[in-house]
Amino acid sequence: MSPPVQLVTRRGVVPFPAYLPVTTFGKKYPLDDLVRPYLPRLARGVMVSLHYARQMTAPPRLPLFVDSGGFAAIFQTSVVREEHDLGVLDVHPSEGVMETLTPMSVLDFQEQHADVAFTLDFPIPPGTEPNEAERRLGLTIANARWAASNRRRADLRLYGCVQAWDAESARRCARAYADLGFDGVAIGGLVPRARKLDDVFAIVDAVREELPSSPLHVFGLGNPATVRSLFERGVQSVDSSSYVKLAASGISWGGDGTVVTDMAPPERLRLALSNLALASRATVGLAPRVWLAEPVRSSSPAGAE
Amino acid sequence: MSYTRSIGGNVQTPSLNPAQLEVVRRGLLSCGFHCVLQMPTGTGKTWLAEKAIDEVLARGLRAVYLTPLRAQADELLQRWRSRFGKYPVGAYAGTTAGTEPEIPYNKARVLIMTPERLDACTRWWRTHWDWIPDVELLIVDEFHLLADPSRGPRLEGALGRFRRLNPLTRILALSATLGNREELADWLEGVEYASDWRPIPLSWRVARYKRAQDKPEAALGAVRGCVADGGRSLVFVQSRRRAEQLASVLREGGLRAAHHHAGLDAPTRRTVEAAFRGGSLNAMVATGTLEMGVNLPVRQVVLYDLQAFDGADYRPLPVWSAWQRGGRAGRPGQDDRGEVVLLSPAWSREAERYLTPNFEPIRSSLAAPAALAEQVVAEVATGLCRTVPQLQRALGASLAGFQGRLPSVSKSVATMLDAGMLATKADEAGASHMLVATRLGRIAVRQMLAPDTVLTLARGLCQPDVDRWSFFDLLLLACATVDAEPPLTVDFEELDELAALLGSERSWLLRDLDRARATLGRSGRALLTVIKMATCARRWTRVGDADEVAEATATYPFEIGRLCESLERILSAAQAIAAPKDDEAAPEPIPEEPALRERLRALVTMVQAGLDEEVVTLTLLSGVGPTLARGLRAAGVTDIEELAGAELGAVAAVRGVSASRAERLIAEAVAKVPERAAWCFRETGPQLQPIASTWPVSVDPYRLRRALDLRVSARGDGWAVTGGSDPHRVELVAGTPRCDCPDFAKGKVCKHVLSVRLATREPEVTRLADELRRVRAPEALDLQTLWFDQSVRASA
Repeated sequence: MSPPVQLVTRRGVVPFPAYLPVTTFGKKYPLDDLVRPYLPRLARGVMVSLHYARQMTAPPRLPLFVDSGGFAAIFQTSVVREEHDLGVLDVHPSEGVMETLTPMSVLDFQEQHADVAFTLDFPIPPGTEPNEAERRLGLTIANARWAASNRRRADLRLYGCVQAWDAESARRCARAYADLGFDGVAIGGLVPRARKLDDVFAIVDAVREELPSSPLHVFGLGNPATVRSLFERGVQSVDSSSYVKLAASGISWGGDGTVVTDMAPPERLRLALSNLALASRATVGLAPRVWLAEPVRSSSPAGAE
Repeated sequence: MSYTRSIGGNVQTPSLNPAQLEVVRRGLLSCGFHCVLQMPTGTGKTWLAEKAIDEVLARGLRAVYLTPLRAQADELLQRWRSRFGKYPVGAYAGTTAGTEPEIPYNKARVLIMTPERLDACTRWWRTHWDWIPDVELLIVDEFHLLADPSRGPRLEGALGRFRRLNPLTRILALSATLGNREELADWLEGVEYASDWRPIPLSWRVARYKRAQDKPEAALGAVRGCVADGGRSLVFVQSRRRAEQLASVLREGGLRAAHHHAGLDAPTRRTVEAAFRGGSLNAMVATGTLEMGVNLPVRQVVLYDLQAFDGADYRPLPVWSAWQRGGRAGRPGQDDRGEVVLLSPAWSREAERYLTPNFEPIRSSLAAPAALAEQVVAEVATGLCRTVPQLQRALGASLAGFQGRLPSVSKSVATMLDAGMLATKADEAGASHMLVATRLGRIAVRQMLAPDTVLTLARGLCQPDVDRWSFFDLLLLACATVDAEPPLTVDFEELDELAALLGSERSWLLRDLDRARATLGRSGRALLTVIKMATCARRWTRVGDADEVAEATATYPFEIGRLCESLERILSAAQAIAAPKDDEAAPEPIPEEPALRERLRALVTMVQAGLDEEVVTLTLLSGVGPTLARGLRAAGVTDIEELAGAELGAVAAVRGVSASRAERLIAEAVAKVPERAAWCFRETGPQLQPIASTWPVSVDPYRLRRALDLRVSARGDGWAVTGGSDPHRVELVAGTPRCDCPDFAKGKVCKHVLSVRLATREPEVTRLADELRRVRAPEALDLQTLWFDQSVRASA
C-alpha cells in the first residue's frame, strides 16, 4: 500500500509532494510580514511554530500546519520533564516568564487554530547521552499516544512525531505509531544530522518501511537538492524557513554563492520569493489556463477547459 | 461593434472583431507575460481587459485598472458592477482621502483607480498590505500618459514601486497612440501587439486655403459637406475666441452650430452637449479640453488649428494628440465611414505629417531632475530605499533608466540633502550612509507634492510678517507652487475684470510687486496667473458654488474643482510646515489671535468645502466637518456665535443632526465662543486698489511696447523703420499708413505703423505710450505692469 497523493484539510487540499514554507508572526522577523501574503501563490500550505502562531492576528489563506514548539528543547535553559507519565517542556524565554508546554496545551491550541497538527516531541541532538536519549524517546512516544487518544476535532489532521538517533530507534518509534490512527508521521531532529545525509536517509527509510501507507513529513530540511532526494525516497512533505533566512542574508539559492549586501526591503522580498519558487519548483507568473473567447454554450455539461 | 457568427450550425458564440481575435489567438493575455497593446479607440480594448480580469477573478486574485480620467472611472464603475456580478468592484480616484470610498480596498476584487491614487497606495504600502500582494493584473490605460511632463513621472514612479512590492503582478498596457510600442514592451520585458483595425474606416485629408482670410470658408465647406450627407461635425480650434468666431461663421453659412469652451457656464455647456448629441445641432466648435472625457460621437472631425496652447505658448499639435482627437470620427451603426479634415495654408506642408499615424515615441518624463528628485524623496520616505545604490537600482529600472535618460541619482540625492528634504543617519555600524526623509521631506511625500513646492512654502512661511498675512496672501503662496493646477492664464482682455475682482481682496504681498516677485518666485504673466488662481479660490470660499465662480472668472467649473483639490494638498502641507516641531516646548496657552497654523487649518477647510471665514468657525467644534457646516449655514446658522445663540429646533432640523446632538453642539459653541469668536478669522490688511485700464481696444499695447524700441527715419514720401528683426517701409496711402510687413498684411495695426505714428506725434498714440512708460505708485496694483513685464520670463 502506498501513501495517499494528497492531504485533505478543512482549508484546502495539499497535493504531494509538498514544500511548506515556514513563516512567523509578530515583530521578530519583519521580512516574514512582507513575504507572507505571497505564500498562497507559491505554496499549498504553510508551517508555523506554536510560539509564533500564538501571535497570529489573522489566519493565512492556506492550510495551516502548526508544530508543537517542542523544538525549544534544544535550548540550554529548557527542561524536559515527566508529569503524569507524559513529557512536558519548561521553556525559559529571554524575556518574560517561564512557560510549560504540555501535550494538553499544545493540542488545545491546535484544535482551535490549526488545520494540521503535530504532537509534542523532544529533539535528541547528536551526542546526547544514551539514557537521556531513551528518556526523551519514551516521552515523545507517550505524548503521541496521548494525543491520538484525546483528539476531538474530526477535521484536524494529526501527525505523530518521530524522534530518533539511528535507523533502529527510528524503527522502534515508528512501530509504536502503527495503529494509532494518525493522519501522518513527521520526523524531527534531522537538521543537525544533515551533514551526513546517509544517516538522514537511513532514518527516513526505516520509518518508511515500518509505515508504508502513512504520509511522511520531514521537519526543517529545505535545501533543494536534499528535498528532491527525500521526495524520491517517498517523503510526502517538507518544511523550511531557509528560503527567507537566506534572503535576509542576501543569498540566492539559484545564485553562485555571492552574497548581496545592502538590499532594500522589496529586493529581499523578491529574493525570498525566488528562493521559495526555486526550492518548491512552483511556476510563477504563468497563467495555468488558456481561456477561449467564451465558453461554448451547449447542452453538455463539459466546459471549455 | 462585433458581428455574430455561427459555429456548428446551432450554437452561437458572441464573436470577436479581427483585432480581438488575433489577441486571443496569440494568447497574449493568458501567457503570463506583461503585454503592451495598441489599438485605436473604440475597437474593443475594454472587452479584452474584461476577459483578462475574468480570469484573474476566477483564480481568487485581484485586478487593478488605471485610468487618468475620473469621468471614465465613474463610468466603468457602473458598468463593471453589473459585468463582474458577484465580485465587488470599487473606484478610487483622486489623491485626497476626503471622502471614504464605498468599498474598502481590501474588499474590492476589481479596483479602478487614477494613477495618482495608485501612487498614494504605493507610498503608504504598509497600510495597503492587505490587498496589494493579491493583485495579479495591473491594467494601465492611456499608457502614453508616461510622456506627460506633469502626470507621467508620478505614474512611472507608482508603477515602479508597485512592481517591486508585488513582483508577481502582470501589467497590461493599453493605448491608441504609441510611437515606440516595442521599446516599451522591452522595458517591461513583455510582449506587444498592435492593430489598426477599425469598425468604421477613417480617412484623413487636408483642406487647403490660399490666404489667411479664406480659412473659415474652407472649414465651412468641409463641415457643410458632412452635414449635407446627414453627418455631424466637431471642429477643434486653439482658443476660445476662435471657437466663438468660427461658430458664428458656420451659423451664417446655414449650419446649426454652437461653440463649446471654458467660458460657458455649466448649464449652457450641458445644453450644447445635449443638443449636439440629440441632433438639434449638427456642428460644434470646441477647444482642446473637450478631448478629455466628454463622449460625443461624430462623423467628421475638423482640426482647424494644428497647434495647441500648452499653458505658456502655442506649440505644434503632436501627432498623437491629433489622432486622439480625430479618432472619435465615425459612429458605428450610423456612419459607414469617418473623416478627419486638416486645414492647412496652401504653401505649407506641415499638415502632411498628420496623415500617417507616426506617433511620437513615449519618452520618460522622469528625465527631468525635479521629477526625479520627487521620486527619490518618496522612495526614502516610504522606506523602500535607504542608500544611494538601492536608489540607483530601483530607479534604474524605470523607463527613464531603460531609455538612458535618467539623471544622476547621486546628484539628485545630494541636491535633496542640501535642500533639507533628506538627511543622513548612521547605521548600526556607525557609517553614515543611510538616508532618511526630513520633516519637510515627509510632508512633501505625504501630500504628493514636488520638493520644490514644499521648499517654496517653507521659504514663504518664514517671512517675518507671515502671521498677519491675509487668506488671500496664503492662497497666493500656495498658487505660486509648481503643484498648483490647472494654471488659469489671463488674457489681456481679462485684465479689467481681474482688477475688479481684486478690489475686494486684502493683501500684504501685492502691495509691493518687487516683494511679491521675490516671495512667490513669479513675475510678469506667470504672476498674473497666480493672482487669478488665488482670486478664483478665494471667491470659491466666499460663494461655495463652482458654477458661479467659473462664470465670474471665465473658467470651467471642473477647473475650479481641480484647483481647489490641489490647493487642499498644498495648504495641508503648509499647515504641517507651520506646526511646531515635536521637540518644541510644551503647548502655550491659546493666544487671542489664531496662530498661523490654525488659520491655515481653517483655510484648508474653506478651500475644501467652499466656506467663508465666518462659517468655518463652525468647524472649530469637534465633529463638525465641512458637510455639516454647509448644512448649518443653509439653515441660517452662519458662524459659531449664531450657533451658540441658536434655537434647538432650528439646529435639530439640519439633516444628520439629532436633538441630542443639536444640544451638544450648542453647548460646545457656547463654551468655545469666549475663546474663538465668529470674527476670529476676520481679514485685516490693506485692501488692493487695482487700476482699471483706460486702454482703447484699437491699439494693441503689446505692439505699442515693441514700437517704442524701433527707430523711424523719413525716406522719400514714407518712412524706414529699423530696429526690429527686419527693416520695413511704411507709406501713406490715401492718408493712412501702410506697412509692407506680414503682420500688416494680416490686417493688424503693426508695430512699424505705430512707431511711425509715435514719430509723427499723433496725440492718442503718444498719450498711450506715456502711460506705458509711467512709474506707478507702489500701493496701487497695476496689472498691466505685470502683463508687460518681460524682464524675467518666468518658467513655464
